[in-house]
Amino acid sequence: MFLASLILIISTGLFFFYFQVACQKILRRRFEQEYFRAIVNANRLEFPAVRQAAEELEAPVDYARVRMTLKCDYLALTYLLKNAANVNQRYSREERLLILYFRALFFSLVVRHSLKLRETPAIVRLTVILQYFANVVGQRVSMVRFGSLTASDYLLSL
Amino acid sequence: MGDPGEVKRFSPDSGSLMLQKLVTYGPYVASTFLQVALVFTILHRRLWKRLGDVLLYVTALLLIDGAARSFVLHEYGFSSNEYAYTFWLTDVLLALASFLLVCSLFRRACRNEEKMWRFLRLFLALVLILVLGISSSSLIHNYENLFSYFIVEFQQNLYFTCLVLNTMLYILMQQTQNADEELGLLVTGMGIQFAGPAASLALAYLTRGQEFSRSLAAYLGPLCTIGMLLTWFYAVTRMPQVSSVPARDERVKALEAVAPRNA
Repeated sequence: MFLASLILIISTGLFFFYFQVACQKILRRRFEQEYFRAIVNANRLEFPAVRQAAEELEAPVDYARVRMTLKCDYLALTYLLKNAANVNQRYSREERLLILYFRALFFSLVVRHSLKLRETPAIVRLTVILQYFANVVGQRVSMVRFGSLTASDYLLSL
Repeated sequence: MGDPGEVKRFSPDSGSLMLQKLVTYGPYVASTFLQVALVFTILHRRLWKRLGDVLLYVTALLLIDGAARSFVLHEYGFSSNEYAYTFWLTDVLLALASFLLVCSLFRRACRNEEKMWRFLRLFLALVLILVLGISSSSLIHNYENLFSYFIVEFQQNLYFTCLVLNTMLYILMQQTQNADEELGLLVTGMGIQFAGPAASLALAYLTRGQEFSRSLAAYLGPLCTIGMLLTWFYAVTRMPQVSSVPARDERVKALEAVAPRNA
């Protein structure tokens, strides 16, 4: 009985650990350039500022504002992932996995806040996922051309 | 790899028959489809030299899970003893195949660490002999009572041994700063495949086979197999092959070769 309980606890822990490792490995993918900047500017996304504040400033974060910012950016980016320059109009497998990971991390952020634990690591991870999404959207959009302009150049020139 | 025979059957008026079949067979069909796709991709991209061990394992999974079990299921039905015996005994075979795959991944991780590999080879052989010895003697002694809690406990231990070895491999890769991203994803996939069934079997054992835990075990197994196959698929199709960084010994030698000249 004791051994089975031990196996249950360790295996469950390792299951979530490996799930997280798989997501982190996908997030480590390198893009040829920083595609996310054009998408951030065109859509006035705020996650880079949140990330910078969380990483560089020691001051406690304004939880309610950060939560709302991350949620809004997530909704905007998942919409773009599905609809911007996406012929199939659906998420890829790794995007689905990262959406699940984002939701789990977002839930952990809420739990951390209610337990008064440090929120910064969860906030940074959430912004890393958003940056990945923005990079994917940016890469897709940059492949679509309007005359001599790429889509992101076109958006910025409006 | 849970038992489809254990999946809770819905009453005819609780939903359409189509939905019932989709829920019951969906994960198995998806798993088989992914196995075929992965074998095809490895062969099509001529990766069998680098991923020969993975190819063999997925082929075994396909033959056992996709062909042999389906044949027995078709011939004898879900509730037959023949199917139950085939399912659990082939599951032992698959767990042993997983063990051999982990050994093979250890070899790949230690490509530049010959000293470490010599030690690990001995250790893995000892673990294999122990697992085989204990498994064979337990199976022979309990063959008559195979469907008591013995098989659940036995499988749970076998999966957990593989999970511990896999985690050791993951730690080893972090220690040696192995830059082989493809190997990292293969190990991660194996971890998902071992951790889910080990946890669900332990839960089934602790709850003495209650309906909830049995259903969970039946679904979690195929879902974890799908998780593993998707991770491997990503490793094979998306991950650029990174040559592993030189071993620590080689790096130290290289530094020593440079140091006297600078001194």
